[in-house]
Amino acid sequence: MSAHAGRADIAGARDGETAARAVELAYIAVAAIVLLLMMLFGLTMRATQAQYLDVQPRLFYVLLTMHGAGMVGIAGVAGAVVMWHFVRRHVPVSTTVFLANLVLFLIGAVLILGSGFIGGFAGAWTFLYPLPAHSNGVWSANAAAAYMLGLLVIGVGFLLLHLDVLRGIWRTYGSLANGLGLKQAIGLAPEKTGPPPAVPAATMASIVNVLGIVIGAVVLILSLVNLYVPSFTMSALVAKNLIYFFGHVFINATIYMAVIAVYEILPLYAHHRWNTNRLFYAAWVASTVMVLIVYPHHLLMDFAMPPWALVVGQIISYLSGLPVLLVTAFGALTVVHRSGLRWDVPSGLCFVGVLGWAAGVIPAIADGTIVVNSVMHNTQWVPGHFHTYLLLGTVAMFLGYMTWTAKEVPHETIGTEPAAFWLYVGGGIIFVVAFLAAGSASVPRRYAVHLAPWLTYDRIGSLGALLVVLGVGIMVVQFLVRVPALARLPTTTTAQPLPEAAAE
Amino acid sequence: MTRGFLPLLAFVIATGLASLGFATSGFRVITTEGARRLAVEHHPRAVPDVVLVDQDGKRFTFSTYRGKALLVEFIYTSCPTICGVLGDDFGHVLATLRQDGGTSGVDLLSISFDPARDGPPALRSYAGRFGASAPGWRIAVPATREGLRALLKSFGVVVIPDRFGGFTHDAAVYLLDGQGRLVRILDAGPPATLLAEAAHAVS
Amino acid sequence: MPRLAAAAILWFGLWLPPLRSGLESDMALHMTVQIPLLALVGILIAPEVRRFEPRWLAEADWLGIPGIVLVLFSTSYWMLPVALDSALGDWRMEVAKFVSLPLLVGVPLGLSWQRMPPLGRLFVIANIISKVGALGGLYLAAPIRLCAYYRLDQQAEAGSALLAVTTAAILGAFLASFFGWSWRRPFPDAWKGRRAVATAADASPSLPT
Repeated sequence: MSAHAGRADIAGARDGETAARAVELAYIAVAAIVLLLMMLFGLTMRATQAQYLDVQPRLFYVLLTMHGAGMVGIAGVAGAVVMWHFVRRHVPVSTTVFLANLVLFLIGAVLILGSGFIGGFAGAWTFLYPLPAHSNGVWSANAAAAYMLGLLVIGVGFLLLHLDVLRGIWRTYGSLANGLGLKQAIGLAPEKTGPPPAVPAATMASIVNVLGIVIGAVVLILSLVNLYVPSFTMSALVAKNLIYFFGHVFINATIYMAVIAVYEILPLYAHHRWNTNRLFYAAWVASTVMVLIVYPHHLLMDFAMPPWALVVGQIISYLSGLPVLLVTAFGALTVVHRSGLRWDVPSGLCFVGVLGWAAGVIPAIADGTIVVNSVMHNTQWVPGHFHTYLLLGTVAMFLGYMTWTAKEVPHETIGTEPAAFWLYVGGGIIFVVAFLAAGSASVPRRYAVHLAPWLTYDRIGSLGALLVVLGVGIMVVQFLVRVPALARLPTTTTAQPLPEAAAE
Repeated sequence: MTRGFLPLLAFVIATGLASLGFATSGFRVITTEGARRLAVEHHPRAVPDVVLVDQDGKRFTFSTYRGKALLVEFIYTSCPTICGVLGDDFGHVLATLRQDGGTSGVDLLSISFDPARDGPPALRSYAGRFGASAPGWRIAVPATREGLRALLKSFGVVVIPDRFGGFTHDAAVYLLDGQGRLVRILDAGPPATLLAEAAHAVS
Repeated sequence: MPRLAAAAILWFGLWLPPLRSGLESDMALHMTVQIPLLALVGILIAPEVRRFEPRWLAEADWLGIPGIVLVLFSTSYWMLPVALDSALGDWRMEVAKFVSLPLLVGVPLGLSWQRMPPLGRLFVIANIISKVGALGGLYLAAPIRLCAYYRLDQQAEAGSALLAVTTAAILGAFLASFFGWSWRRPFPDAWKGRRAVATAADASPSLPT
């Protein structure tokens, strides 16, 4: 901390580095394993729809619920480790809190898996009120409560983590507006004085997630009370608004955290600083506001919603992802352009992440249009668009970070990395295109049993899912075998050259 | 962690849980209504033997009903809302009792908590509206203010003025057993349920 | 000392019949004005109480955790409809309310808040916001009367009032943190930009070769 760091301080700092590294590796390992498991659930569902597997509908809907909750949660964990690793270079954050979040996540995950596979809870990950309390005997109130308690526990962990990150940003930059680069965005301060790119991203993701989790906790508590005291009801429309605010914000924050990997890793390869200009900061400020107010686009089918909210939802959903996406895509292109960058798996994954995110926005914009949404919302078009930017966006960025971390320990015996990369990318494209094509042919989403004319899409989708599972499986195994060696690597206490410093 | 931290925390948590548990009758109720029902169920209570005046202007006390089950409800005759439902419910109970030949040993009593307006003429008109007649179903008002206060307190009835010159009050049915003890507080509902509880109380 | 005087005036003022019955006649005022003001009485006297706080207690209140847990229990108690009713129906419980809210909510809050790390404070604030919001939602929509002494419409108003408090708290916390307002001290070099301190720096892999 201080300039007079004595020998004891250095030793302490080294211990701190070792601990931080150990927790980061634990995060990546947990994220990788759960990600793979949830992908297997997804593959099982697609193969069931394709009639390759014979999974009973009851189990199918449990898998659907677990896949949804598990993927959202693990995207949060994956985003969190990327954000924490890079933001920690610039602001003080607590390793203990970081670890506490992982522990709480695991406790919550056990509760959620128990609610599904023991209790049979299959009310979808959105636990839409009042469905959890009306299972028609399929699951008990206790199972639904275990699910919601699991979400609450996970929420508490993320709340702590984001508050700690915000506290660190606040301490270093004086306010969250400064962390976002608001002064640079509106021209009150020179661009050069702005925070490094990881900081606005972490600020934005943490602000929206804290708000999302606080609102999510309200609706979770209300739903829990309703489970046990059914006379305590609430307006179903208000509940849906609260749930989608929470869900929308949380899943969006995962990509805004994961994108930090692009900002930090690509410049290392290109030897070219990420251009944090005024537009960059303005984009992050704008996205902070837009992510918070765009959630009504999940309720475009709800005719009981006030029309102005839906119109806002439609207009903002055209714009919401765009500012950050554009500066990111443009930034990535400028970093890569004529840099003589040597492509490998980590840099390739980071680049694919930007492309996947950009591609995912196109079907999302179609879906954010009220007239289209009324027709498409309950078709596979919607899982098609969100899988595009989650599977080929968030996941790609996380895998980029994971493989980049693993690069430190060369592993001679495994030479399958490029193959894994292509399996994942190719399979991912096949998988999401199968969803989008099925959606435009009006194949409904969330059906356990499919009609014969839909099977072609399902079979192609299953093939894509299988390739993705193989590719990601290889990458995960390659990472896991390196974990012991990665944990033993010596850590340094001196400040590493930061990307922008290294570039000049 | 400092010395004394864990003991202090444990003490705070234990005391906190104990007081929350005490207030909620062991984490079972959060409302006064719930607490009252639970308390009566576990500890039947004697009600004060106050003097009441019925629709015929006759004076009587609770001891008149010894040996029989008594269903009691609290009303005021100018009530535009819930009392009508209560009256109808008791009317259905009376009809059911008559079908059974009136031998079940259950009597009905509607008590007004509005002595200012509810003299015998008002009580008589209310009785006429729902077909009540003494002694099977009395519409009565406590003879004194003190009697009314004692009665409301022992039954745990809270009456608060609404904004329209009337009152907001609960719609419960109170069951007294053969010894004149308050043994159950029930929701107004189907006659069969009320009579089953009454039969249970008198046996 | 002006704090003590203010606390005493506030406490007696709240106890005096016009203010007391006025605030208690309405569920929303009871929950969002009287109860918080009684807690404020305790916060005001906390610095004086601190001088008499035994050393062992100050030490045992590690990071302010036991104190905050006490506050959470005491506030939960007075959020129970049955507890609100008891204070209205029984003068002894009313006395208990007037004593316990300053002493078991305000004072421990004043004492323990100072000992909490910033993250702990933020977490407590976030938690209270969620809890009050949920309570507001329950009261707003509950189809049955929860308090024997309040009408259904008053209950719904209380729900709206609690939700308004929640919204105001979220906005307040957001704006305060967003623009860097701090109730303790302004942050030094509010606008210096990043500090690459040794411990926060990372032992990340170096540039690929």
